[in-house]
Amino acid sequence: MIEIRIHGRGGQGGVTLAKLIATSRFLQGLSVQAFGLYAAERSGAPIQAFCRYAQERITNRNLIYQPDHVIVLDPTLVGPPIVAGLKAGGWILINSPLRAEEFAGQFPRNRLATVDATRIARDNKLGTRSVPIVNTALAGAVGKMLAFPLDQVHAALEHLGFKGPNLTAATRAYAEVELLATPRGSDSTEELVAPSDEGRGPSILRGAGGEPPGIKTGQWATEQPHRRQMIPPCNHICPAGNNVQGFLNALAHDETDSALEILLRSTPFPSICGRACPAPCMDACNRIELDGAVNVRQLERYAGDHGRVTPTALARRDERIAVVGSGPAGLTAAYHLARFGYQVKVFESGAAVGGLLRTGIPEFRLPEEVVAREIDRILNLGVTVETGKRIDRQTLLELARDHDAVLVATGLQQQRDLRLGMDGTEAVVQGIDFLDHVHRGDVRVDGETVVVIGGGNTAMDAARSAMRLGARSTRVVYRRSRQEMPAIREEIDEAVEEGVCIELLTQPVALHQRPGNGARRRYRLTCRRMQLGEPDESGRRAPVEIPNSDFDIPCHRVILALGQSPDMSVFPEGTEVREGSQLLGLLETPLFAIGDLATRDGTLAGAIGSGRRTAVHIHNVLSGENVRITEHADALRDVDDWCDEVIRADALKLHLFERQPVSEGDSLSMAKRRSTFDEVHMGLEDASEASRCLSCGVCNECDLCCTYCPEGVLKRVGHRLEFDYAYCKGCGVCMAECPRNVIFMSHL
Amino acid sequence: MPVQVVTGNHAAGYALSVAGEANRTGRGVACGIYPITPQTEIVEFVASFPFSKGRVVPAESEHSAMAVSMGAAMCGARAFTASSANGLAYMAENIMVAGYYRLPIVMVAVNRTLGPPWNIWADQGDTLMLRDFAWLQFYCEDNQEVLDTTLLAFRLAEDRRILLPALTCMDAFIVSHTQTETELPEQDEVDRFLPDLELPHRMRYDEARTLGGLAWPHEGLSMRLEIEEAMRRVPEVYQECREHFKEVFGRDPGDMIQTFATDDAEQVLIASGSIATTAREVVRQRRASGEKIGLIKLKLFRPFPEAAIRDACQSATRVAVLDRNYAAGAGGIFWQDTRATFQGHRDDLLIQNYLTGLCGGDVTPTVIHEILADLSSRSAAANPVWMGIETSKESLQ
Repeated sequence: MIEIRIHGRGGQGGVTLAKLIATSRFLQGLSVQAFGLYAAERSGAPIQAFCRYAQERITNRNLIYQPDHVIVLDPTLVGPPIVAGLKAGGWILINSPLRAEEFAGQFPRNRLATVDATRIARDNKLGTRSVPIVNTALAGAVGKMLAFPLDQVHAALEHLGFKGPNLTAATRAYAEVELLATPRGSDSTEELVAPSDEGRGPSILRGAGGEPPGIKTGQWATEQPHRRQMIPPCNHICPAGNNVQGFLNALAHDETDSALEILLRSTPFPSICGRACPAPCMDACNRIELDGAVNVRQLERYAGDHGRVTPTALARRDERIAVVGSGPAGLTAAYHLARFGYQVKVFESGAAVGGLLRTGIPEFRLPEEVVAREIDRILNLGVTVETGKRIDRQTLLELARDHDAVLVATGLQQQRDLRLGMDGTEAVVQGIDFLDHVHRGDVRVDGETVVVIGGGNTAMDAARSAMRLGARSTRVVYRRSRQEMPAIREEIDEAVEEGVCIELLTQPVALHQRPGNGARRRYRLTCRRMQLGEPDESGRRAPVEIPNSDFDIPCHRVILALGQSPDMSVFPEGTEVREGSQLLGLLETPLFAIGDLATRDGTLAGAIGSGRRTAVHIHNVLSGENVRITEHADALRDVDDWCDEVIRADALKLHLFERQPVSEGDSLSMAKRRSTFDEVHMGLEDASEASRCLSCGVCNECDLCCTYCPEGVLKRVGHRLEFDYAYCKGCGVCMAECPRNVIFMSHL
Repeated sequence: MPVQVVTGNHAAGYALSVAGEANRTGRGVACGIYPITPQTEIVEFVASFPFSKGRVVPAESEHSAMAVSMGAAMCGARAFTASSANGLAYMAENIMVAGYYRLPIVMVAVNRTLGPPWNIWADQGDTLMLRDFAWLQFYCEDNQEVLDTTLLAFRLAEDRRILLPALTCMDAFIVSHTQTETELPEQDEVDRFLPDLELPHRMRYDEARTLGGLAWPHEGLSMRLEIEEAMRRVPEVYQECREHFKEVFGRDPGDMIQTFATDDAEQVLIASGSIATTAREVVRQRRASGEKIGLIKLKLFRPFPEAAIRDACQSATRVAVLDRNYAAGAGGIFWQDTRATFQGHRDDLLIQNYLTGLCGGDVTPTVIHEILADLSSRSAAANPVWMGIETSKESLQ
């Protein structure tokens, strides 16, 4: 009986080599055995395989401890273990480019053979470059070494379904193997040959050993994993187009500057939005299903307040662009155009740059120095401003003549009215005007009973300002229910905390002066109770009057905060104003409306998004380039495995995340909130809240997939995941372990 | 009949497939499969076999694989499956149910160590865990025996006098993954050996019937007794099937127990699976030097072939039972049944237990020689001897 032991590494085809040798002997009529010593089969791990053949029936069921010959598939395994128990004079065949003599000193008792099977395998494209499959080449070398005719080697290969390059490799190794026979008189390991192939049928193992070689365990797979990143709901919903997940991920890694840099790609106002944005991203946050939305608003403020980044123009271009209006939409457009390198001039009708940013939001929510800081960042890009310049129909045409493009961002300036019977008297004031006066410090409401009509942020700001100015009581009257109020939910809560009363489902119908001779004039506001009916065109349920439900509210002052509508007087009658459509079509100059004027959106973030989109559009028109805005605008990541689907909470493995309470940051004491205009929120002390972000649908390189891959065939290279499909069995563990569902399985 | 070099797994997969195909003129083949090392090659083979009638269902677990096979069998299909180790443990509930349903399912099990600690090598503890489940159990020593026994098991299980499921077992890797020459029968031979399955209690569309519904104690008891009576008929029916097998295939699939040189043996080794091959070679050598040593290979474990074992030990004074398995707190499982076999028959017989090859250990001729040396030195039996490991006498005596 001849016993052969094979030393190799997982993936090289050692067991198949044992079978090839056994098969070639079997076809000559001998009794054979071929088997491996299996453990956790992993590519690259040292393995052993065994082969026996004999003329009599083999009855040995044990491993081979005293082999007649040894074959080494990987030269790095050459060492004392390969000759353990090896009979004196037996062959050692080593896959090596070295000459056999090089090993003679190390193994003086044995005959030596070497062949560069790795090169032969590579030349024949067997296996991969990193794991060439050397077994068929070595089968040829073994044949020569043990004096089997080459056609017997070929017969074994063909019996097992090997063909083409495998036969070529075996033939070449048969010719190239270098034999260093018998340095010391070897015990004869006589060869057993009994030609007889009677009764030997074709293999039942259809295809085994065909092309490519069956050792590649990737062939077992019925499914394959892929990474597919999806759009997180925060990114998808952000009207400004911020890469929310991206900046949170940077903050979670303590990279505040990088977080700010990501924000500044879309918005020039992170510190402002971090205070005054309604944050629809937080309503869309998938973490709500676990333990509450990530506090994105405060984290944006943190990045804006603590990050140190100075944006610069990316090029220098000569085209001149005029922007009419210096509210958030106009300034955002100016910012992006300036970064593209254009010469931008902003025209503002008021005295200060900033529009409503300056006058419409009170200090306790948005301190003036924050607004100034962010506007300065834009001006530092070279944007020039002309204040006190009101544009009319005529000057607009002049601007169009003198510039390469014009953007109109005059917002919503006409305030809505309510015919209460005493309009125009000092009893009734518009909310925007009231807030402007509050800014300037020339309004007094101390001791008064104030009624604010409306449910938006202006109403809340006016009511809260009145409380701070010493109003005896402040009541907000709103005709729908709290659910329909457009104001930021937190601001409603804070107004109530500060003592503002909210009268819901109440419609004011008339205002009358009350008789009396006090120091102040007194009024009564007659109101009517409402109930909610069918949804109207805004999607909200329309208020319907309840008959005979009138009642009076006594008051000294009524503030109207009913929203605004655009001033269209600069355009010819009947002009259709919407975002992205050319105005005054006869002009050659691109002229676009942006912000609330075009969208009626009414939010800061919406204005930013509109300004940015149109700036990019103008740039594409003027430059002929094709800059695209994407919701996963993560240009730093050199990957292309994005899809346009938005990921929802039910696609995440929420059980893999730990619950953590939301960080709110500290607030000012109630006493100060009622008496000063100091900022209510003090901001977050650190950015640890960012680590609550689940990174929905976006690989944040937690590497759990690579850690748990039982085959070790998954690795991350830079920002990319590499699956070795030649060996991936498609077990799906990577998919199961990915908490954010960016790995999916495709059927083969 | 072609001879090929195949693994034990492929021999089993081939046997299951051609047996299933043989029922194509009846109600076909259907079975549930689920992979587990070292059995996966079997179900891969079965799954790729081009059956003429019926189908193979990849299930989502071993438990479901057996459930599919049971449902198929109830409807009269020839059903089978394969599993191993912890897979069998997970399948266990349905394995038991298949037995009590009297469904002639054949399962090939590759004996692998039950983890933890994790281990994929040979140990019979997994199938012996199922010993009380009304299944026939066979332990095979090589590829040929796996193939032959699997075919025989269908014939036996489906015999109307038996109607019990059967388990064919082989050692992990030593048999399952070792490629050696094996005779593979042709389909037409298998067709002759296995008639179409006619399950007397099969489900029919036109005849409402419940299997396994609530039974009162006396009803349940009589069903248990019927199973016991079927078990007792196995030795007789086995010999019939064996004779038929020889006629069709021209090869002896082997007896329920296979004795070697036991006729005048004073010392008898009892072994199973691939250990029996090695033990037989040692006995052959020792016989050549004149020692009166014999071997019993236990092929059939359920029902336990008591009478045959007693017969083969008539001249023996000492018996060594080699167990590649152990029941915690009780010792080797073959040993326990062997002791019970001789209880009240041969109370003078020294029956010593040797635990060897557990958790995949390689049982070499040297180990067998050590066992024989220990056996002949004993004046009385003692607690099981753990081979290949230093044990504290105090703790095990």
